[in-house]
Amino acid sequence: MRPARLRWLLVPLVVLPLAWLLFTGLGRDPRLIPSPLVGKPMPAFAGATLDGDRFSSTELAGKPAVVNFWGSYCIPSCVDEHPVLLDLVARHGDDLRMVGVLVNDTPDGARGFLARYGQVSWPNVLNADASISIDYGVTGPPETFFVDARGIVLARHVGPLTPAVVAEQLAALGIEP
Amino acid sequence: MIPTLGHLAVVIGLAATVYAAGAFLHGGHTGDAGVVASARRAMYAAFGLAALACLAMVVSLLTHDFSVLYVARNNATTTPPFYSVISLWAALEGSILFWTLLASGWASLVLYRYRARLPALMPWVGATLALGTAFFFAVMAWPGDPFVRVTPIGLEGNGPNALLQNHPFMGLHPPLLYLGYTGMAIPFAFGMAALITRRTDEEWLAVVRRWTLVPWIFLTAGIVAGAWWSYAVLGWGGYWAWDPVENAALLPWLTATAFIHSSMVAERRGTLRTWTHALVIATFVLTLVGTFLTRSGVVNSVHAFTTSGIGAWFASAIVLTLAVALGLLVWRLPDLRDRRPPGAVVSRESAFLFNNVLFLAVTFAVLFGTLYPILVEATTGARASVGAPWFNRVNAPIFVALLFLTGVGPALPWGGASWPTVRERFAIPILAGVGVVIAAWALGVRDAAPLGILGLAAFVLVVMGDEVIRGARSRARSRGEPVPVAVVRLATRNRRRYGGYLAHVGICVMAVAIAVSATLGSDRTATLRPGESLALGAYTITYDRLVTEPLASDPRVIETRAELTLAGPQSGEIATALRDYPNSSTAIATPVVRTAIGEDLYVTLLAFNPTTKAATIRVFVNPLVMWIWAGGAIVALAALFAIWPDRRRTAVEAALAAA
Amino acid sequence: MRRVALPIAVAALLALGGLVALELLRPAGEPTPPEQARQIAGELRCPDCQALSVAESQTAAAAAIRRQIVEQLAAGQAPAQVRAYFVARYGDWILLEPSSPFAWWAPPAVVLLGIGAFALWLRRGRGEVPPIETAPNPGAQDRIREEVEQLDA
Repeated sequence: MRPARLRWLLVPLVVLPLAWLLFTGLGRDPRLIPSPLVGKPMPAFAGATLDGDRFSSTELAGKPAVVNFWGSYCIPSCVDEHPVLLDLVARHGDDLRMVGVLVNDTPDGARGFLARYGQVSWPNVLNADASISIDYGVTGPPETFFVDARGIVLARHVGPLTPAVVAEQLAALGIEP
Repeated sequence: MIPTLGHLAVVIGLAATVYAAGAFLHGGHTGDAGVVASARRAMYAAFGLAALACLAMVVSLLTHDFSVLYVARNNATTTPPFYSVISLWAALEGSILFWTLLASGWASLVLYRYRARLPALMPWVGATLALGTAFFFAVMAWPGDPFVRVTPIGLEGNGPNALLQNHPFMGLHPPLLYLGYTGMAIPFAFGMAALITRRTDEEWLAVVRRWTLVPWIFLTAGIVAGAWWSYAVLGWGGYWAWDPVENAALLPWLTATAFIHSSMVAERRGTLRTWTHALVIATFVLTLVGTFLTRSGVVNSVHAFTTSGIGAWFASAIVLTLAVALGLLVWRLPDLRDRRPPGAVVSRESAFLFNNVLFLAVTFAVLFGTLYPILVEATTGARASVGAPWFNRVNAPIFVALLFLTGVGPALPWGGASWPTVRERFAIPILAGVGVVIAAWALGVRDAAPLGILGLAAFVLVVMGDEVIRGARSRARSRGEPVPVAVVRLATRNRRRYGGYLAHVGICVMAVAIAVSATLGSDRTATLRPGESLALGAYTITYDRLVTEPLASDPRVIETRAELTLAGPQSGEIATALRDYPNSSTAIATPVVRTAIGEDLYVTLLAFNPTTKAATIRVFVNPLVMWIWAGGAIVALAALFAIWPDRRRTAVEAALAAA
Repeated sequence: MRRVALPIAVAALLALGGLVALELLRPAGEPTPPEQARQIAGELRCPDCQALSVAESQTAAAAAIRRQIVEQLAAGQAPAQVRAYFVARYGDWILLEPSSPFAWWAPPAVVLLGIGAFALWLRRGRGEVPPIETAPNPGAQDRIREEVEQLDA
């Protein structure tokens, strides 16, 4: 190729990598950060619950578990996912164990939320010093972790749970939807 | 009814700009002035239609018309009128509408101004501008319709984002920035026209000079206003976090500044012409990249608008624009050969060229850092992050080199400098720089950064002062004027040069202020009960009481104020608050800033206990912060001075200059 | 006076540079635990903010992380271990500076390449002298015509 024509290569050389970068960038959701906990044993935790009892994550052993991080101020996301959680436990309460963890919230605020949007049958750990949310790498409520029967974290979902996500995760856990 | 009219205006505007593009292209090809005139009128109409659409949106916001989805999401019945109006640009669809208004406004202005001149260039300028504006109308007509309706119609809206209704600067920063962004289409359009018509001589540069500096002034002011707003509102005591959208505004500013310098060389010496064209293309493409980053949800940021399909449209526009513009540049490369032998290694040309290299280096570094997370995820799937420490570390040396160059460039002659010249020009400035560093050390400054920048700034200022005094002295001698009068007369007759000097003075002021405020500040955090005090430096802050009440201007917002008494170099009653907005999960801090010439006292309320009335406050003493804003103002005013028309220039002078 | 000034100026500059180098090369004292904690907090990203570090942020999550940093340092952990603790929970993303070496050498490499190309251009451009432009300059001619017409008008 003559040197003069060679300069036309500059155009695809500059444009194509930029195009690739921009379009692959579009496919990503910057708020969806992969958790390093996936594939590892779930971090153990224990603490006082909203009802005044004590809860330890050892109680979850043997069955799949769902750990849901939430707060009473997280509107509308936590409000949107609350019926989904209630439905999940109503239908599969025997196959899995659900536990809630408060993030940066007060017991009164949490009780007010439950009184307004629906009381729950599962324990809610207070997490007053935020050590549990740090252990799980929580960036902000709502976040939900799906753990299998052996105690290995299968997935983390950031944002409100939807029936579609729940169905997908139930399938991964081997539970009939 | 009104939203429907708004939508109709958008659709007709799209038709008008598409027609204008086609007519300009046809007229440029055939030389038919009538067709070109009709295209121009279509562009004026498009501006009118964009204005109508904006008016429709503003009316919908003021009347709280919640049948419009945008209004329902960004407005509430309690929103004060000022914030209702400026909600026009508070979120995605509205900001595109506002952008379109400004873009079509610029286009109409430049087409009107040159309606009887430059007949060879203007059709192509018009075509480029029409295509650009048509794109934004198209985005509003399809994926980003601001007037889309919602049913059922709610009784109350969401209200504006809490952070965006906390401070009146929300009415200043986006318009300034957008005026800068949209105005950069003008030099780009002229650049394209010059390449297409092969009129790549100095003519387009002479025309484009003002049309680049005006948007540049807006962009500078917009960026500085954004930093000031962030400082006053966000409560962390800083003003620049290398957030992706902050970077998006900086990138075109960097290449535009390089373009302004490069075009000076191209206009006067006929060299660096390829650089100049490449830089004007880069500036425009980067304004599109900027809006892409802000609107596509590709990067996470304070400004992140909601994700939407608009991202793909913008990505396509960027790729297409770059491909066409770059192709045009490569095609006409032989036309852009240097008209003169290059300058010597030590000459003003080389300094300018090195200036280009450095600006591009910063642009690359900032672009790299901003896009790196995307790159990593696309190639490895992992998630990386790039924050302020990386940007500061990589960019600081380059900025220091650029500061050095602002002193060296103007003192070197064109063509080449002899050793005696160098000796004469730089000896005293170097001594001055060293002297200032020693003086600062003696005064107690020990950090390397402020010392270095102070010395460098002194060097630059003395070089410029020397140039000014030397010129004034020779004029004063020959005309018998006192030297100060000679300075003023010289300045008004050489606005470009002296405007440039003043702009560099502003940069020095900003550099010193940034270096000092970043390293020599101090802060303390403490939890106080009413009556207790906190001391920081020469200040004592006494916490008086905690007051909780709704805001007078918007009763839905509950404000909890810590009222404090300040004693020290600045004194008085101050209050810092946390505001609880109904649509925000966290309370929004409203810091208080007391500004004095030498330093800012900055107090944020971090937390409070409603029962014990204890308040956790963080106090900063930030030195020289006001000089960052003042320096930015100097730069903007200097550029304004540079482009101010000089009535003295006669037509004969102009004609002689062109020959 | 200016003849002598430059050598003095350069000498002063070099002396200053020497002093600065000495100062920078002097081994820094051991950072105190609060300084260490602050430094680590400055390197971690606040999980529920945008672009702020844990040191700068005022959110509850950032405060909790700062507490944990202090506790861990007090328990005898090294700064690197503390950082690794948080990376194990949040992922690489929690670090404000990319850990990959590529992110560090890529920008300076490009800058050096640019300076290298610039230097090459300077060298090469010496020999070439472009021919004097005799081709008509259509833009200038148009302007001259316009201005003359305005004069006549």
